[in-house]
Amino acid sequence: MNLGGVFFLGWRYLGRNRAKTAMLVAAFTLVWLLPAGIALVVGKVESHLRVRAEGTPLLLGQAGSALELVFNGLYFTKPAIATLRHGETEAISESGLGTVIPLYARYAAANHRIVGTTLDYFDFRGLRIGEGRGLIDLGECVVGAAVGEANGIAPGDSIISTPETLFDLSGVYPLKMKVVGVLEASGTPDDAAIFVDLKTAWIIEGLGHGHEEAARLGDEARLVDLSGSGDGIVRLNASVVEYNEVTVENVDAFHFHGDTSDYPVSAAIVIPADAKGQAILKGRYEVAGGLQLVSPGAEMGELFATVFSVQNLVLRLLGVIGSATLAIGALVFLLSNRLRRGEFRHLHHLGADPGTVRALIAFEAGFVLAASLLLAGAGLCVLQVVAPILVRQWLG
Amino acid sequence: MIRCEQLRFAYPGDAFELCIEEFAVAAGEAVALVGPSGCGKTTLMNLISALLVPHSGSILVGGVEVSRYPLSARQHFRLGKIGLVPQNFELLDYLSVRENILLPFRLGAGSGVDARARERCEELAGKSGISEHLGRYPDQLSQGERQRAALCRGLVTAAPLLLADEPTGNLDPGNQDRIVSLLLEEARRIGSTVLMITHDPVLLPRFDRVVDVLALRKGGVS
Repeated sequence: MNLGGVFFLGWRYLGRNRAKTAMLVAAFTLVWLLPAGIALVVGKVESHLRVRAEGTPLLLGQAGSALELVFNGLYFTKPAIATLRHGETEAISESGLGTVIPLYARYAAANHRIVGTTLDYFDFRGLRIGEGRGLIDLGECVVGAAVGEANGIAPGDSIISTPETLFDLSGVYPLKMKVVGVLEASGTPDDAAIFVDLKTAWIIEGLGHGHEEAARLGDEARLVDLSGSGDGIVRLNASVVEYNEVTVENVDAFHFHGDTSDYPVSAAIVIPADAKGQAILKGRYEVAGGLQLVSPGAEMGELFATVFSVQNLVLRLLGVIGSATLAIGALVFLLSNRLRRGEFRHLHHLGADPGTVRALIAFEAGFVLAASLLLAGAGLCVLQVVAPILVRQWLG
Repeated sequence: MIRCEQLRFAYPGDAFELCIEEFAVAAGEAVALVGPSGCGKTTLMNLISALLVPHSGSILVGGVEVSRYPLSARQHFRLGKIGLVPQNFELLDYLSVRENILLPFRLGAGSGVDARARERCEELAGKSGISEHLGRYPDQLSQGERQRAALCRGLVTAAPLLLADEPTGNLDPGNQDRIVSLLLEEARRIGSTVLMITHDPVLLPRFDRVVDVLALRKGGVS
């Protein structure tokens, strides 16, 4: 057997039939890469989600989907969940059973979630200011590292909240917020969020507002003519300027109507004081109607139990499809070799021994297999690097 | 050069049987094998080239009993001692004309594809008028050009025995003449023995001897 001749003939055959070779290599590469790639990406997603979930002891929210609550409270997705009263979170704090960090993640600015919270949140998540300073005044915001990097935002710039309903004339005006700090990158959904004080979030909601004082107008043109209504109340008409930015000059004009205990929060992180406090709280909210206190780690565990069972099914299906692909590939080789029988016979007539012909066939099949395995390996290496970035982009 | 004695061969499950008392070809002789289809011309050629093994009798090529060679020795015998020119060109479509001509060297003939082999390839291609097609692929050539390329491949190793199985069967008269001329001239130049199967009576006068295989089987030589 002349191995040099075998490699030469095999290489020339593959090169001359490069479209067929490329298709076989691509098909075989997918056979190896798809199941391994899916397992790798799901694994990355799981570890990304689990770390944050397991780092959050309890999450309080309105009764409903526990998973939606977890995704809103931890990853700032699912903004449309039912809210709970801020008073409920205050009640836990006052009971001394644990520390509560309220979250109001409903609004957005340029596709980044605006998260209304308290300063405790930054300590709890271990978030550090990379540039500028932390929140002090109403109308200020601190942006995550990814927000700053993607939008070229630095302290001193401004961000305007995205209007919820563009054509609703009675809706809330967008709020222009001053960026006072940019967080250090944490590799978590916090990187893609804009943090404001809870009260600033309520201003975006329209629950708090600032406007010109009617007493300073000097004329009565901006009063609604209610002559004859007889209720004795003075109302301002639509010509009164409402502030859509909190400044040093107008900050005192901002005020909230009603009791802030009734104001909404979308979720609240609960850090029990101790195991006893945790047990009492869990028991309390198990029976309390209208609210739920969930353990994000357990919820994620349940979610991934389902994900993994689906993944197993998908992998089995891919296994079947992969086997069929390999069988078709083998058939292509067999048919191709049958078509080449005359060529092999002639090589034999010229003086090639049967081993040479067998080695030629093995070289071609081996090349396709080896090339597909190499490509799949390279693809997995790329995925290993790219997957965490993609997962962070998808999940924040 | 070739000596067959008491040769007997039959294909398994086939009524055909080739029995030859005696058949000899002198070194440097050009012999045309004729006879009706199915009379055993190709079988005789395959026995001489050690592709088939006779049931009995002996075949000596260059004084060596080739029918008793083991398999690996038969491969070496064909690569080193025989130049083969098939009827249907049998060029590999994924090799260029040059690579096809040099194929026996790739399979182990001589000392591989060296400068001498390349030189010989260029020389034969020039003589057969396909120099400008050396970089092209067989499917880009005409029938006549393909057969000339196949002939160059048969001649490239300068083997002492040239076996040609109807190499002009698919060609027009002009190309037939060109192929046979090149084959015989080159064989004479390098001193090779030629055994060529043909059905074309026009070509027979150009050979030293014409052997009717059907008559040979009956014990005679024509």
